[in-house]
Amino acid sequence: MRTEAIDPPGIDWLRVSPKYVTVRLAGWALGTLITVALLSLPLVLVLTGAWTWPPVWLAVALPAVALVLALWRLVLIPRQVRSIGYAEREDDLLIRRGIFFQRTLVVPYGRMQYVDIAVGPVERQLGLCTLKLHTAAAATSAEIPGLPASEGARLRERLSARGEARLAGL
Amino acid sequence: MALTPQDAGRAADGTAVLSGIGTNADAGWLRVHPASPFVRGWVALAALLFFFGRDSFERFLQGGPVFDERLAGRAPWLLLGGGTLLLLTVLGYVLSWYFTRYQVAGGYVRVNTGFLFKQQRQARLDRVQAIDVVQPLLARIFGLAELRFEVADAGQSAVRLAYLRADEARQLRATILARASGAAAGTPAPEPGHPEPGELASGELASAAVEAPEQAVLTVPPPRLLGSLLLSEQSVVILAGGIASVMLSAVTENRNFTVFLIPAAIGLLASYWSSFNRGYNFTAAVSPDGIRLRYGLLDTQAQTVPPGRIQALKVSQPPLWRVFGWYRIQVNVAGYGLASSAGEGSARTTLLPVGSLADVMKILALVLPDPGTEDPVGLFTAGITGLADPAGAPGSAAGRDADGGFVTSPRRARFLAPLGWRRNGFTATETALLLRSGRWWRNFVVVPHQRTQSMALEQGPLARRFRVADLVLHTTAGPVAPRLIQAGLDEARALFDAQAARARAARKHQKSEHWLEPAAQPAAPPAEDPQEGPHHG
Repeated sequence: MRTEAIDPPGIDWLRVSPKYVTVRLAGWALGTLITVALLSLPLVLVLTGAWTWPPVWLAVALPAVALVLALWRLVLIPRQVRSIGYAEREDDLLIRRGIFFQRTLVVPYGRMQYVDIAVGPVERQLGLCTLKLHTAAAATSAEIPGLPASEGARLRERLSARGEARLAGL
Repeated sequence: MALTPQDAGRAADGTAVLSGIGTNADAGWLRVHPASPFVRGWVALAALLFFFGRDSFERFLQGGPVFDERLAGRAPWLLLGGGTLLLLTVLGYVLSWYFTRYQVAGGYVRVNTGFLFKQQRQARLDRVQAIDVVQPLLARIFGLAELRFEVADAGQSAVRLAYLRADEARQLRATILARASGAAAGTPAPEPGHPEPGELASGELASAAVEAPEQAVLTVPPPRLLGSLLLSEQSVVILAGGIASVMLSAVTENRNFTVFLIPAAIGLLASYWSSFNRGYNFTAAVSPDGIRLRYGLLDTQAQTVPPGRIQALKVSQPPLWRVFGWYRIQVNVAGYGLASSAGEGSARTTLLPVGSLADVMKILALVLPDPGTEDPVGLFTAGITGLADPAGAPGSAAGRDADGGFVTSPRRARFLAPLGWRRNGFTATETALLLRSGRWWRNFVVVPHQRTQSMALEQGPLARRFRVADLVLHTTAGPVAPRLIQAGLDEARALFDAQAARARAARKHQKSEHWLEPAAQPAAPPAEDPQEGPHHG
């Protein structure tokens, strides 16, 4: 993965597990299924004759458009996952994400208030976890999804230790 | 009552900590004023009395029998029911009063509440982010005041003592601030003046209860406040709405909707009134304990924000205020949180409701005593009103326009922001990062390096096409959301690195939470400060 334009130069990004694609796919499949099923309701009602108003082409177009958009997002998922990266520096943690809308975040260790690890059902099956950093600013929203459980635990311990060493007030 | 069980769960490091075990159980526990539950719950009592009493009272006035003939048989039951309800309410009030006790000792303020669900809460004094003394109208009539102690959790107040006698509340505030500043940590001073026996149960509480001397910095005259309200953004919207509705009525020849204008007008008047009521007699003063703000016509409020508690500051100017050269200053303070409720919240995060450029400079000097630059006035003026040269620096590919030190968007970004590109910019002094934006709605944001929590560079596809990027600084919740808009890519990346380094350096030099260590503390004046008039909350 090449370094994107807004990233600081000379950073060795650590990538999240490729298995995280599966987690995203599961979420995508569920979301798409529900959306398309809901949007197909008018089509079913029109075909059974319960509704007369929406013409058949419109009733077909609605779920079809949703499906096309979902497929577009499906194509992007592997690239989005590959674009997630993090790097531990001397005094801060860098987190990047995004292809079209990129974001590179820097969280100083001394500013971390606490570190969370969350595991969802699909993640548990794959042995992954999501690490979240919290600072006093709600807008920080620093999270690294799709870490292998061992790496997550290692990072949490390491971040806590570094945070303690560099602890600053507000 | 002020402390609900929901608050109890929010326990964080150094902030409000709930503990089930009583410590220092017998040293100087005090109760709030006995009248306080009635002042807080007067609406319920009034409703109860009104409901049961109005009918009878009217009959009594008209000379008729006190009870309706049809109800006469049931009158005792009605009376009994009403009386029981009243008694239960009063009993609840008395119990809640009896079981609410507070203590300031050993670097902590502790509050115990509740008789069925007991709650004990303690907050570290040196973690204070702000202290407010609030006097709603009714409390003011009775000479009572509420004390609010804020710690950094961006939610409700950590400690609310409602109500204390007004002078008692001020005294407690002075005590807390003296303890928190470190001024009174070492040697307790002898008791000043004649403390009233009921008020000062512990000698410890009396030891540091001298208000820090303060110096008035500026006031906002009522005519200017009124003018600022009339020219606010709200008025622009109303005017536009009014014109639109008149046009609509002219076109459709339908007069019916004027009916809806009446409640709308009442709502508007109420909104203007509440803004006026809050901003009336706004006074800013400075003392060793930080910035003091006082305001309010019927409900008065006095805020104290200790030094270094302001996380970010924004100077803004709606378009119509430009006629008079007025500005508004809002701040992020960790304890105040987001100004979600338009009323109280936004007033508390406003450092200056309306003021001239000179007033803005005075406030900036208070917030940033060390601006870290040679020419702070010139730099701040450039930040507030400055505009870069339209030609751009010739030959500079990066479009670096040094307008009073501000690095603005590169010239290539003028298609993205045809008006704003000459305005959007940043500069850094040794102590703070300054961001400016907005051609019509002028904004100028100051973030001290010490207060930067985290940062992010953001870039969308269009911005990538023009080789610009946004830099977002994260601070605690509040009305200020610092964002550098469309800086040149190279500048943004350089700033990203430089700012991380500056914030790191500033954190290393950060002073202790005690802003007045005993050595630095001048002898406290023995008398109450003359500024402290009876009008002050």
